[in-house]
Amino acid sequence: MKFRWVLLIMFMLFILEGTLAQWLIPLEWSGRIVPRFTFVFVLYAALYAGRHRALLLGILFGMLQDVVFYGHLIGVHAFTMGLCGYVTGLLLEHRRAPMLASLSVIGIVYLLLESLIYLIYRVFRLTADPYDWVLMQTIMPSFFVNLVFALAVYIPARRWFERIGSLRGAEEDES
Amino acid sequence: MGNKRLFLLLIGLILFIAIMGFSLGERRNLTWPERFVNDTVAYVQQWFYRPAGYFAGLFEDVRTMGQIYDENERLRTALAAYARDKNAYDRMKLENERLMERLDFTEAQKTKNDYEYIFAHVISASPDPYNRTIKLDVGSKQGITENMVVTTVDGLVGYISRVYPLSSTVTPITELNGQAPDVKSIPATVDGKESESYGFIETYNRETGQLLMTRIAENDPLEEGDIVITSELATVFPHGIVIGEVVSRQVGDFGLTHTAYIEPAAQLDKLTDVFVVKVPLSQTELAEELAEQEGEASGAEAPGQ
Repeated sequence: MKFRWVLLIMFMLFILEGTLAQWLIPLEWSGRIVPRFTFVFVLYAALYAGRHRALLLGILFGMLQDVVFYGHLIGVHAFTMGLCGYVTGLLLEHRRAPMLASLSVIGIVYLLLESLIYLIYRVFRLTADPYDWVLMQTIMPSFFVNLVFALAVYIPARRWFERIGSLRGAEEDES
Repeated sequence: MGNKRLFLLLIGLILFIAIMGFSLGERRNLTWPERFVNDTVAYVQQWFYRPAGYFAGLFEDVRTMGQIYDENERLRTALAAYARDKNAYDRMKLENERLMERLDFTEAQKTKNDYEYIFAHVISASPDPYNRTIKLDVGSKQGITENMVVTTVDGLVGYISRVYPLSSTVTPITELNGQAPDVKSIPATVDGKESESYGFIETYNRETGQLLMTRIAENDPLEEGDIVITSELATVFPHGIVIGEVVSRQVGDFGLTHTAYIEPAAQLDKLTDVFVVKVPLSQTELAEELAEQEGEASGAEAPGQ
C-alpha cells in the first residue's frame, strides 16, 4: 500500500463529507452531525504509521477543508487536526494498540478536536453558543457517528497504515 | 529535544493565529492557490452532490406520494388566482412604463428593478457546524460578484461571500451573527408596509432556528404573521426578496427599539438549485464605468499621437 493511495482514499472521503454525507443525514439532524472521516484516518495514521505522517495528513486535509469551505477563517482545521494527530502519535505511536484501545483513543481525541475548534471560533467571536449546548447538540451525536465509521474502517485502515509505517521503519533501519 | 519540540509547537501556534487573523473578514483578491484548489475540488464535488441528491429525492418522492393530491388541489387554486393577477399586473406595468416615459426617467432609473436571476447548481455544503457555507457552480466567469443575494423559489438563502473563477461560496442566513466581526446585517421591511416598516436582520439563533430582526421603531406597524422582505432602502441587496414570517415581537434590550423573531421561509439544508440575483448597475456605477472606458480609450490613443 503506497502512501499516495492513502492520500487518494482520504481525498475521496473528504469529497464525500461535503456531498454524500449531507444527503444521508436526516433533515432534523443536519447541522448537528459533523462527519469527520478524514480526521479518523489521520488518527489511524498517528496510531500505526507514526506522528510525522499524522501531522502531515492533518495539516494537508485540514487546510483543504479550510480553503474549500472558506467562510470566516482559514487555518482552524489545519491547526487543530495537525495538532491532534501529532499529539496522539507522540503518546501512542507503534504501541500495537488493540481495537478497543485505539477506538477509545479516537473517541477521546475526537472530543478534544471538536472542543478546540469550538474554542477557536469562540475566541474570534464567530459563535455565541454556550459550550454545554454545543456539546449536547452537535459534539455528542457526531461522536457516535464518527466512532461507528472508525469501527467500520478499522481493519483496512490499520493494515494500510501499518504497512506504510513498517516501510518507513525499514528505510530508517537501512540508513 | 523536548525544548525543540515545544519551540516548534509555539512557532506553529503563532503562525496559524497569524493566518486566521489575516484571513478573517472580507478579502477581495484571493491568492491563486486558493482559486486553483477551490475550482479543482468543486469540479470533483459536482459529480457526487447532485447524483446523491437525485437518489435521496427518489426515496423522498415515494414517501410523500400521499400528499400529492392535496398539493395539486392547492396549486390549482393558486394558478387561478395567478391568471387573474397577471391581467392586473400587465395593465399596471404598461401604465407604469407610460408614466416613466412622461416623467423623463433616466435609463438607470428605469432598469433599477430589472433583476437578472442567474441559475446555479449547488455542488457541496460545508460539514462544519460553525461555518455552514454552500458552494455553487458559477463564478466570476459567469458574472458573479461578491454580496450578490442567493435565493430559492421559497425565499432568501444568503449572499455570495467568496468568488472564484468557476465556483463561488455562499454565506447562508444561518451564519448571521450581530456580534461577529465579519458578517453583514440585512435591511428588511414588511411586505405591504414597505414605507412604514424598517429593521435589520442581524442574528440567527441556532437553538430556536429563528432570525432576530432588530432596530424596529416603536411605532412600526410590524406584527405577528407578517411576511418580511428585503428592503428597498438597501443599496447592496435587491429589494422584495422574501426572508420569512414574523413569529413574535418584543421590546429590545435597551427599551428604545423593538425586536422580532422571524421564521426563515427557505429551507436551507439539502439544496440543489438556487438563483443568484444580479442587481443592475446604479447610476453612479454606470457613470464610473463609462468614465473608465473613456479613460482607457483615450489612454490607448495617446501613445499613437
